[in-house]
Amino acid sequence: MRDSKAGLPVALRAAIGLCWLASSAGVSAADDALADLSLEELANIEITSVSRRAERLSQAPASVYVITAEAIRRSGATSLPQALRLAPNLQVAQLDASQYAITARGFNNAIGNKLLVLIDGRTVYTPFFSGVFWDQQDVLLADVQRIEVISGPGATLWGANAVNGVINVITRSAAETEGALVVGAGGSREARLGARYGGAAPGDGHFRVYGLHTRRENTSDENGTSLSDGWDGQQIGFRADWGGTTSGFTLQGDAYRGKTELRNFPFPGFPAAIEASGHNLLARWTRRLDDEATLRVQAYIDHSERDDALLYKPEVDIVDIEFQHALRWSAHKVVWGGGYRRASDDVQPGLFFGFRPPQRNLSWTNLFVQDEIALQRNLDLTLGVKFEHNDYTGTESLPSARLAWKLAADQLVWGALSRAVRAPARLDRDIRLPPNPPFIIAGGPDFVSEVANVAEIGWRAIPRPDLSLSITAFHHDWERLRSGQLPPDAMVQNMISGSTYGLEGWGVWQATSAWRLSAGFTTFRAHLGVNAGSADPVGPSALGNDPDFQWTLRSSLNPWPGHEFDVAVRRVAALPDPVVPAYTALDLRYGWRVTPDFIVSVVGRNLLDGGHAEFGAAPGRSVIPRSVLLHLRWEL
Amino acid sequence: MSALRVWRAGVFAFALCMLAASLAGRAFAQSEANPAEYQIKAAYVFKFLNYVDWPPQSAADAPLQIGVIGARAMADELTGIVAKRTVNGRPVTVRRLRPGDATAELNLLFVARSESARLADIVAATKDQGTLVVTESAEAPALGSAINFVVEDDKVRFDVAPRAFEKANLKVSARLLTVARKVLPGSS
Repeated sequence: MRDSKAGLPVALRAAIGLCWLASSAGVSAADDALADLSLEELANIEITSVSRRAERLSQAPASVYVITAEAIRRSGATSLPQALRLAPNLQVAQLDASQYAITARGFNNAIGNKLLVLIDGRTVYTPFFSGVFWDQQDVLLADVQRIEVISGPGATLWGANAVNGVINVITRSAAETEGALVVGAGGSREARLGARYGGAAPGDGHFRVYGLHTRRENTSDENGTSLSDGWDGQQIGFRADWGGTTSGFTLQGDAYRGKTELRNFPFPGFPAAIEASGHNLLARWTRRLDDEATLRVQAYIDHSERDDALLYKPEVDIVDIEFQHALRWSAHKVVWGGGYRRASDDVQPGLFFGFRPPQRNLSWTNLFVQDEIALQRNLDLTLGVKFEHNDYTGTESLPSARLAWKLAADQLVWGALSRAVRAPARLDRDIRLPPNPPFIIAGGPDFVSEVANVAEIGWRAIPRPDLSLSITAFHHDWERLRSGQLPPDAMVQNMISGSTYGLEGWGVWQATSAWRLSAGFTTFRAHLGVNAGSADPVGPSALGNDPDFQWTLRSSLNPWPGHEFDVAVRRVAALPDPVVPAYTALDLRYGWRVTPDFIVSVVGRNLLDGGHAEFGAAPGRSVIPRSVLLHLRWEL
Repeated sequence: MSALRVWRAGVFAFALCMLAASLAGRAFAQSEANPAEYQIKAAYVFKFLNYVDWPPQSAADAPLQIGVIGARAMADELTGIVAKRTVNGRPVTVRRLRPGDATAELNLLFVARSESARLADIVAATKDQGTLVVTESAEAPALGSAINFVVEDDKVRFDVAPRAFEKANLKVSARLLTVARKVLPGSS
């Protein structure tokens, strides 16, 4: 054991290490003074690195579940919504071959509007209805690093629309995807081919390009009649990164198109397919200003269009710019920032719906600040507020307070109070059914923001190295939820209020080095009602259709090296209105790593029943059938 | 709506980006390339070599061999450290490996977080080789890693699983155990 600077006082040597670290931002690697510090000194050096966010999330005072890349691979998922089924705090219901209703904490709906979804920092919900067209959101799942799923309001940091949750899909840095990868999947219900190539980019950076082709077979309804929902989609994209996680530059973009089969309805203009396409380009610049502060600036453009002759034909262009400055000042960790977003859309009428006016430009600006205060060594208080301005209701304030109490190194109790808002979308104000008068339903010129006041309390622990647990109780108090009126000329109003509450919990047990078990559940109750004075004929059931409970069990076993056997069981209780019977789905997967770089796997989905509906009204809704799939994954 | 037009716009945007990126890349190439986290971890890994009783080699000055899977920054840092240093008179070599490469000769194997998906297989491959496996992911100790890095309160700490040392026929020094954040009971 030798220490070349054994004569120097410990503090001085630690200071040398720190100074060296502070100056390292501009210096290339391979300086090595740290290697001469002792183990104890190394243990006392603080680092500031954004890459730690994943680890920090496990200590965050919020209901956060992280879907890992490994979990996605072993689920056999071939689409983003299927991967999201891995999060126990989400409700995922398949509507047809490629469309899904996805939510956290209830209000599930094909046009669900209380969830914020981001792919690499780009918001993918559609501003004219504040929901997500899931058939238009694809990623090469093999290049996803993780998906963070936050149930509950994330409004202070993320903004309006993050009322019931945030889904954050994060792909790997291009530096982590060097080389070629080919993934193929083919089976009874779908075929998918994806390829990626990554290499060095000029200027000591990395890049990757990828392409995806997807074919999904159509489903049938409960009478056995084939629906025309089969889907063909293609997507290409790239990502390039320079520098590291604390200081660097990222440029990425995607372009996609897809369409259903020809749908035939006895109206002029049919048969016609739903066609969707879009492209986006994002640049992000992160800079470590000094040891204590980072600055992030991000901008993107996003174009999307959808031609649905039955519903409507939107075309949307979005420009989004934001910045974020994180700094530390004695016991405070402060993040503040702002953003500007502009959406220009043109929604041409379909057979059923039109928007008036058809074209509109909307913009949003926001400013936020959050301060994490270390009250005591084991007690952190996080206070934050976001002010967001929209063209309909002016400035909305979104405050939150969170308290994290570390009972022990591996045990956290947390509580949070937040106010979240869903600001009006074009749909709430401008929609018309039918597109021309006389109208049966019309957007409400007086529609204002829906408001949730949310209380949460949670406990998270790692009682043993092989066991982790989390449980959260939530109560959302709702005001001014969207309501209707009796037709004709029914205007959209804000006349539903009440509360929703429930539990979310999950646990992971690494039983042996080759066997992992995980389980999760949610319960949900809603007490919502129409306010006095409202003539809403439908009531709260128009807002969502949610199960009282759901649970999942997963087992990932490596029976011997190179072989993988996965079982997933999911139980979803009945939906009340319209009634969808409860179902239990069993998925199995067997994978064989033929060589370190080549994996073959067979996946069976919905093996227990011949098929079940997950959403919608009988008998026209899709039955989601049993399916078998062969996967190949080859890294070159 | 013209899908072709959109497609062409996409390809054009792509080409434009690559151009802009290669220009921007020059400006950013000078900026910091590896987070401080790996600088500290690399220093630790080098120190760890001092606190393990390595089985005697035929030649007393045979080099100690470190392998790194994933995390090029880690390998770069370590290469810089070992260039001017020895451990008890023995030189140290550092190699970057791909999953599946032979690990038989290695004294210490670092597996980066990005490769944690393959950890079970990698650990299985080092069985009975006398290789110390060092990792940085939460699930690693349960999969048989001997030393696992954790970041706590913005500091890099590590947990030690003596059981994994035993299985690799290595002896861990008491000093490593005292500095460790936690000494893990270890799993089968």
